[in-house]
This record gives sequence, C-alpha cells and structure tokens, in this order.
Amino acid sequence: MRLRCLFSSLVAGSALSASLFSARPAGAQDTAGGLAPNTAATPAAPSKVTGAPAADRPLDAEITSDTAAQFYEMRSPTGETVISRRRLTTTLGVAVYDLFDKVDDPRAPTLTFRARLRYDADYGGNAEETSIHRPDRLVPGFSRGPVDLMYGYLEGRRFFNGLLGFRLGRQYVTDALGWWSFDGGQVKITTPYFLAFEVYGGLEQRGGLPFSTSRYERDGIWRGDRSGYERDPTLYPSFQPSDIAPAIGAAIESSGITWLHGRVTYRRVYNTGASNVSQFTNGVRSNTTYEGTRISQERIGYAVDGSLPTLGGIKAGFAYDLYVKALGNVYASVDWYATQKLTLSVDYDYYRPTFDGDSIWNFFMAMPMNDLGLRASWDPSSRVSVSGALRARAFTVQTEPEKDLSFQTSPNGLYEANYYPSSSIDPMGGANLAGRYRIGEGFIGARGAADLHRSGDRVGLDVYGERTLETRYVLQARTGVWHWNDKLRADREATNFGYVLAAGYKLFQRSMVLVDFQHDMNRIAGQRFRTMLWLTIALSK
Amino acid sequence: MIPAKNEIDTTEERRGLGALFVLIVVILGAIGTAFAQDVEPPADPAPPAASASIAPPPQPPSAGPAHTPPVTQLPLTSGMAPLPGDARVPLKWLPPGAFEQDTGPSAAVFPPQKLTLRFNHKFHVETQKLECKSCHQGALTSQSVHDVLLPKPTLCDGCHGTDHENLNAVEAGDDDSGKCNFCHVGYQPGDGNRVAKFQIPTPNLVFNHQKHAARNINCQQCHGDVQELELATRDQMPRMRGCFGCHQHPDSAARGDAKSSCETCHIKGGATEGGRLKTTFPSGVMNPPRWLHNAQHAPDFIQRHKYVAANDSQFCANCHKEEYCVGCHDGRVRPRSIHPADYLNMHATEARLATQRCTSCHREQSFCLSCHQRLGVSMSGPTGVREAGRFHPPKQEWSDAPRRPGHHAFEAMRNLNACVSCHIERDCVVCHGGQGIGGGFNPHSGGFAGGCATQLRRNPRPCYVCHDPGASVLQRCQ
Repeated sequence: MRLRCLFSSLVAGSALSASLFSARPAGAQDTAGGLAPNTAATPAAPSKVTGAPAADRPLDAEITSDTAAQFYEMRSPTGETVISRRRLTTTLGVAVYDLFDKVDDPRAPTLTFRARLRYDADYGGNAEETSIHRPDRLVPGFSRGPVDLMYGYLEGRRFFNGLLGFRLGRQYVTDALGWWSFDGGQVKITTPYFLAFEVYGGLEQRGGLPFSTSRYERDGIWRGDRSGYERDPTLYPSFQPSDIAPAIGAAIESSGITWLHGRVTYRRVYNTGASNVSQFTNGVRSNTTYEGTRISQERIGYAVDGSLPTLGGIKAGFAYDLYVKALGNVYASVDWYATQKLTLSVDYDYYRPTFDGDSIWNFFMAMPMNDLGLRASWDPSSRVSVSGALRARAFTVQTEPEKDLSFQTSPNGLYEANYYPSSSIDPMGGANLAGRYRIGEGFIGARGAADLHRSGDRVGLDVYGERTLETRYVLQARTGVWHWNDKLRADREATNFGYVLAAGYKLFQRSMVLVDFQHDMNRIAGQRFRTMLWLTIALSK
Repeated sequence: MIPAKNEIDTTEERRGLGALFVLIVVILGAIGTAFAQDVEPPADPAPPAASASIAPPPQPPSAGPAHTPPVTQLPLTSGMAPLPGDARVPLKWLPPGAFEQDTGPSAAVFPPQKLTLRFNHKFHVETQKLECKSCHQGALTSQSVHDVLLPKPTLCDGCHGTDHENLNAVEAGDDDSGKCNFCHVGYQPGDGNRVAKFQIPTPNLVFNHQKHAARNINCQQCHGDVQELELATRDQMPRMRGCFGCHQHPDSAARGDAKSSCETCHIKGGATEGGRLKTTFPSGVMNPPRWLHNAQHAPDFIQRHKYVAANDSQFCANCHKEEYCVGCHDGRVRPRSIHPADYLNMHATEARLATQRCTSCHREQSFCLSCHQRLGVSMSGPTGVREAGRFHPPKQEWSDAPRRPGHHAFEAMRNLNACVSCHIERDCVVCHGGQGIGGGFNPHSGGFAGGCATQLRRNPRPCYVCHDPGASVLQRCQ
C-alpha cells in the first residue's frame, strides 16, 4: 500500500515537472551562460526533458528519486536473536531554480524551492515490535515505515542589491555546532564590509513528531512518539514523549575574502511539554512528571579557516556548551604545502561528551579525549594520490578520589578502598593509509586502517575500484581483509574476508540502476550475504 | 553462549581457506580485466572543436599538388614547443594564478590536446605585427566553449601562398613557408593531401568570451603572455586561481559584477547523488584544488572533511546538495567507505575506541538503542528478546564496589558515549540515583556543587530523575 502511494507520488511528481517545464515560454532562447548552442559547431542541443541539464536556463527544474533496497540479516552477539532486514529507503525530491527568470543578471535576486521526502521502511521488522499490547516485544521508538521530510524550503538570495538572503521551511544548518535541522526561517544580511549576519528561529526537528526524524536533536535522552502509551503510563517510563522544541540561533560570518573565512555561531533550543522523571513506577513511587519550558541546549561555536596558496592552511574551531559549562569540542588542523605535490599536516582534536539538557548524563563524570595526528598527502601525478597518517589518542581517567567531599563518591564509605590508575592517560595508537589511481571515469583505490588499544584492536585493508564502460555500463568491485580483537570478550575476535561485486547501467545522466552483492566470511558470522538494489532517477530541464 | 556456527572444524576451515584463495584470485582477475582497458582517456565524444576544418578525409596521394614538391628541406625547429629547446615557460608568462612549478590546468576541465601544427606566436605578433584577433577572429564574439576559435586555414593562405579553399585538394605555396610540412608536423613527401589530425577537445567548462571582452578583459589576463611564446599549449589555458581575481568566492553583495557561483564556469548536473556540478569526465575528475579553502579531496578527505564543513558549509554546498551529505550522515544505508567488511560484527570494537565518531552520523539514544533493543543487546529492552548472556565482564569486576581495574566507572569516564549507545537513564539510576531512588552512588565530578545552581534553575528535569524535588542534597544547588 505504501509502495503504491510512493509510486503515485512519483507519477504526480512527473506531472508536476511537466507543468513546470511548460511554464517556460515557447520558443524562448537559451541566452545565459557560455553553453548556448552554436549550431555551426555543436551537435544538436537537447530540446526537451532529458537527464542532462546542459545549460543554465530560467526555471530550471528537476525531479529526483533515489531508492535502495537492502536484504541482509543481523544477529545478536549471542547468536540467539536474528533479525532479517529487508529495508527499502527511497527519496523523492523536487527542485525549481531561478524562479525569477533573471539568470542573465549576475546581481539579480534568485529564488529557489527545494524539497525531499523520504520513506525508510524495514519490512523485516515484526509487527509485535511496534505493538504496545506486546510489552515483551515492544521496542519503543521503532517504526517500520516512517516517512519524513528531509528538507523543504524556499530560498532567496541577493535581494536588495545583494544584501538580503533568506530561507523558509525545513532546512539544515551545518557549522561548528554540528549538523542540525529545524523548521522555520533564516535571514542573512551580507554587508559590503566582509561580514555577514545571520539569525534564525523555528522548531527543532524531533523524532516522534510528524514527518521528522530524531537525527538532529541532541543525544542523551530516549525520546519519541508515546501516543498510545496513555493506557499504561508505567510502560517504559524512561521513554520520553516528544514535543515541540523552539529554537533560535545567530551567526556572524566573514564574507568575500577568499583566503580567510570564519564563523561564530550561537544556538539555543528549549524542551517543552511533560517529561517523566520517575524511572521506577512500581507502586512504591508514583508516576511523576516535570512539565515546563526548559533548556535543551545552549551552545556557542567558532570555526576559522585560512589558507595561503603557496604556503599552507590552517583550520580551527571549538564548541562550548553554555548549559553544561564545558568545552565539547576543540579542533585544529595545520597543512603545510611542502611542495607542489606534497602536503604535510598536523591535526588535533579534543572531545568531551555533552548531551541534551534533559539528560542525566551531562552530570556524570566524563573525561575528555585528545587526538593528535601527523599526516602526509602526496600526488605524484594527476592520476595518483596517496595519503597516510599516524595518530595517537589519549583517553583520560580519574587517578585519585574526589577532593570535594561535599558530594561523597561512595556513600557506603568504600571510596578509600577504590582502585585508581597511576596515570590519567589511557593511550591508543592508530594509522591509516589511503591511495587512489584514477583512470578516466574510473578509479582503483585502497584504504587501510589500524586502531590499537588495550581494550581491542582493529586492523584491515580494502581495495576497491569502479569503471564505467562506454559511458553507461558501471562495474564496481571491492575486496578486503579486516581483523578485530575485542580484548574484553575474546570470543569476539575474528578475521573477515569479504568482497563486493556490483554492476549497473546508466539509464541517462544521473540516472542509474545498480545491483550490488556483498559476501563476508568470518568465524563469528560464518557466511554473511547482503544484496542491494539501487535505482537513481533524475529528470531535469 | 557462542553460536554453534563458530565451531567450524579445522578441516572445514582449511577447505574454506582454499576456496577463499581461489576467490581472491578470481576477483582480482576480474578487477584487473575491467581495469586493463584503455588507460588513456578517450577523446571527447563530441567532434573535436578544432579538428573538423583541419583534418579532411584522407585522399589518395594523387589528389595533392603534383607540380611542386610539398615539403621544404629547411630545418624546422621553431614553433614546436612554447620556447626554443622546450625550455620551461617562466611563471610571468603563464596565465594568472599559475604556480611556480606549475603542472598545467586541470585535465578534467581542459582535456589533453594533440597539437600537430607548428606555429610561432612570437614571430607572428612581434615580426608580422599581427594581433590576437587577426587570427582568432571569433574570440571577441564567441559565447560558447563549443565555438571554434582557431583560424580557418584559408586565413594562412594570404601570407603563406597556399590555397586551403578546398580541403580535399590543398595547394602548397611556392616558397618554403608554403610547403605542407612547414606547418603540418610529421608531413612526409608522398602524403599528398593527408595531414596529421589536430585535436583540441572542447573544454568541460562554461565560458563566454564576448562577455569578458565587453568588460575590456584582454587575452593576456586569462591566457598569459602568449605573444612571448612560440607554440601555445594547454598550459596557456586559464587557471581557476586566476579567475578568482574577479570571480571572488563567495557569491555575495560584497563582490563585483563577476558572478561567483560555481556553475558560472562549471557545468551543472552532478553525475552522482546530490551533485550540483558535473565533475566526472573521460579526461579526469574535477576536485577542489588544495589552495581553495584548503579543501583538497585527497584519498583521506572522508576523515578530514569535517574541518571544511564545520567552517563553511556554504562552500561545500557549491558542489554538493544536501542529499549528498545525508547519504552518510543520516545513517540509512551503510557506506562501505566508512564501515567496511562485516561491520555489524566489528562495530563494537571501534565504537569502544571512538564512539564520538559514531555520533556524527548516528544518534545513540535512537539509532543505536533501537537496534540494540531489537537484538536484545541492552539492559532494558523488551523482555521477550533480552539477551540471556552477559555482555560486560563479570559483575564482581565490572560493577561491584570498591572499584577495581576494569570497573565500569573508568570505562564510563573515558568514553561515556559508549554507555549511552546501549543504556537508558533508568539503567544508571538504579545505582546512581540519590538515596531513596537508587543506590546513591554519586556519579558527579568534583566541584559539581559549585556550578549546579544555574543548571538546576535552567533545567531541573535531570536533577529530579535522581533526586526527590524536596531532597536536602538539592538545596545545595538552589
């Protein structure tokens, strides 16, 4: 049924595209850009809807759809529970560009609409897993076939002589605070003085709300759609109900300087509605909820990037959690262009977890981890590239009892007896090596990695390649050997050999059908198979 | 309990290894066969822009002029390379934006050429007093890269005494400069009307000469000092860094008239999911140069791209649409470039080493938790599938007081995310809740009491999970 709906949408999308295309006046000339056809020297230009947008035209429009079907099995580490996964993930996107039909004027305002819907179903999921009448099987938050709006916004640029830009609708924000999504509006003022100002406000995208996923809310709180749970409030009290989350944010960004870019960004999100604070509603304690508008996150971040073409570049940034009062992330990367073909780099990362304001884990003792990497990237020719890095990570642990005894570590009086490591540094080593050889529209690549730590190792190498024959037949292959050693559970040590073979056919530009078969062999899984079918369709004018 | 599947006997293992070896050989053979095809990029499938009028269909030798020898015996050394002796072209004569040890423009944008004509630009400009437009007449009015901007061979006839009017029967000139091999490299006596094919493939670019000429942008501003060179090669094609002199990035009010969005110059229509630009061509793949926001797409860029995206996502958006990022960052289809092999069985080891990397694509309390609960790998999942065995080390080592080496407290403080990917808050509150709610084992760090007042005021919800609202311990934070 859902599939039928999907295909109906696709057909409706095609009809929409046809109406969009017909919005262009008959006989209109392709005047913009340098690809205007010169009949004396070029083959005939596409004259109707094709997969190849050859020119920059007013009212460019496109309908795109990506579908992936996956068939494989998952089993628990004990091997007792097996889930058959039959996943279908398909998206349907619509975009209309240059709504103002003034593509000839580089300073003219532009208006664009873009939207994409996604259907992500797991037909391997059991109906009992979503039934509140089967608490022994219910997995709160699990949904067998949710539909979400990935994005859908109207975007304007260069209004008022280039000063004003805006976005209205569901949109993403990517900056030093991470990858985030909200429903609302964003306004950007770009001044002629190398600075741009941005403000936005709306509602954070939250799982459990219609057409939404939980990907973009802060971690640390188990939250989702509790509709239907009213009949038994004691059912999974830790599973919190979703409610709207007002969000505001602002950013100041440099603009127009090619070699230097910086962005300082601020974001605040509120939790609203009721939240269950009783974890044990067993008759002894009553079911208690806290209701009120409260902070979900308040963070500030900064990122800067500078580069000098003949010398090198630097990137750095941080994210500070104003609610937890802790630095969540700091990074810095320095690249030195040692020669025209060789780049040497030093990378540094600091990370300390922080969570949603509703989460108790913000107040658990969490120590930072620090990463230091030395990297080299070498391009001996235009076809060959090699990159390698050595890295070290230092986890931090507590080495002595807390000095502040106002909050006793162990109320049973045993804290003096606790063991503490002599060093606060818990080191880990690693390396990675990657190479690529390009052959026209194909490539051969290799990627190896090693992570070594007292609690476990992972070492392995993949070799892969892709080749397009006669511009439409696509061949892909991948093979590799990986070994992992879980030192906390010796029975989980294994060496895996696997290969992937794929063959596809490009129906037209940006549209392809591809079949992909993966086979892995290791002592834990035995033989493991995964089959995938891909279908990508893009219709553009 | 280990599944019976693990208990593979040695003989079977050996047999499996043998089969494995054969499989490796077959796969590598197949890869080799697929990739052993032509390693040279094929010529542009469209008719080469500059070849049609230069290389007529082969004709029998008799079709050529028979009354004069079509070759000269003069030593023809000039015009075979940019500078005599194929010396390196100084940076000052290369197009703006070129580097000291320049490797030429991108092969993806300007595919390799096959120049079979001898030509001395310097001689024609300095000695013959010709201007660029004398020969490249179409350059000032061209609106497309598909336009042929090389002179028609008949243009040469006026000085060289040749007659190219009928390309099927070209007449050589009387003096040496009119002989076929004077210009056509490799021409031999007896070749008649046949000359080597000349190929300048159409650039994979959007370019309008007329618009630039109308803004008084002269030839040298894009092509460098061609008048100082003999043969002009691909190296004189514009460099992107030079274009940035006017086409500043980003596209904003602060900039001049030159439009700066990528599709101003690059061809729209990505070949891959979520691509804005066409980046893959028979002659190569177009990637950002390292000087451009330090965003070189080296083979390990997948591990370092966060530095670029965190700083300026609009920069990424010039080439990539949202769905390109979501392809990995929304965790729906496992990308093998990040999660290789049998990652389902391997991921626990990596997660313990660096769970914070997982969170860049997966939300622990939904993506990880949901799957762990479905498989029974969790403490608070549905009873019907809850794991019978124990995931962690024995209780005496893992959770009993006092702490010993390997105690979960150390694991939690060094990588708290690893806990959050399996456990719900109830699991922790059992012991870490305040007295009356849990066991009363304090999870807070030292000095916590000093800063908790603000947190309690702004969001008391997490406090009430572990402490009764009226608990005396909460008063220290009020």
